Amino acid sequence: MKTIDVIVSPVGASRIETNGFTGDQCRQASAFLEQALGLAENERLKAEFYKTEVRDHQQARQSS
Amino acid sequence: MSHVVQIKTQVRDAAAVRAGCSRLGLDAPVEGEVKLFSETVTGLAVRLKDWRYPVVFDTTTGESKFDNYQGRWGRQDRLDEFLQAYAVEKTKIEAGRKGYSVAEQRLADGSIKVSLLVGGAS
Repeated sequence: MKTIDVIVSPVGASRIETNGFTGDQCRQASAFLEQALGLAENERLKAEFYKTEVRDHQQARQSS
Repeated sequence: MSHVVQIKTQVRDAAAVRAGCSRLGLDAPVEGEVKLFSETVTGLAVRLKDWRYPVVFDTTTGESKFDNYQGRWGRQDRLDEFLQAYAVEKTKIEAGRKGYSVAEQRLADGSIKVSLLVGGAS
């Protein structure tokens, strides 16, 4: 399931979270909202991205 | 991959301003020239509850102009509340344009979560 959650704080700032996307799809999927709502201040990749990276490294070491 | 982006709200959509006003039970915004205490500005004017002067948004730049005399002529949290309503309504308008279904939920800390269902399983 692919979802985009927009959490708007009581002072009106928004946090956009994408879930269930693969590769760079998440950035493409949420770009329209980022442009529509205002000024993007920072971005971070979620934890599952880094877990995937570590697993790939381990697999690469084992196969070499 | 998934990611998180923080956005500072800029008010640039007159339709979402109207929807935000409606959501909060405010009068509809008025486009034109508005006199604040010491200056005259042009834009989309929103009359917040208990504010002496309106907040005027320039929808081409996203900037706002107001004079609440450091809170004495209008509480900041009324403006914050409007910005929250605007961002929620703007999100729903954009989701509607994409044909995404939307669910809205108020969270315990006063935030409002708008969830967009983009598609099936990846």
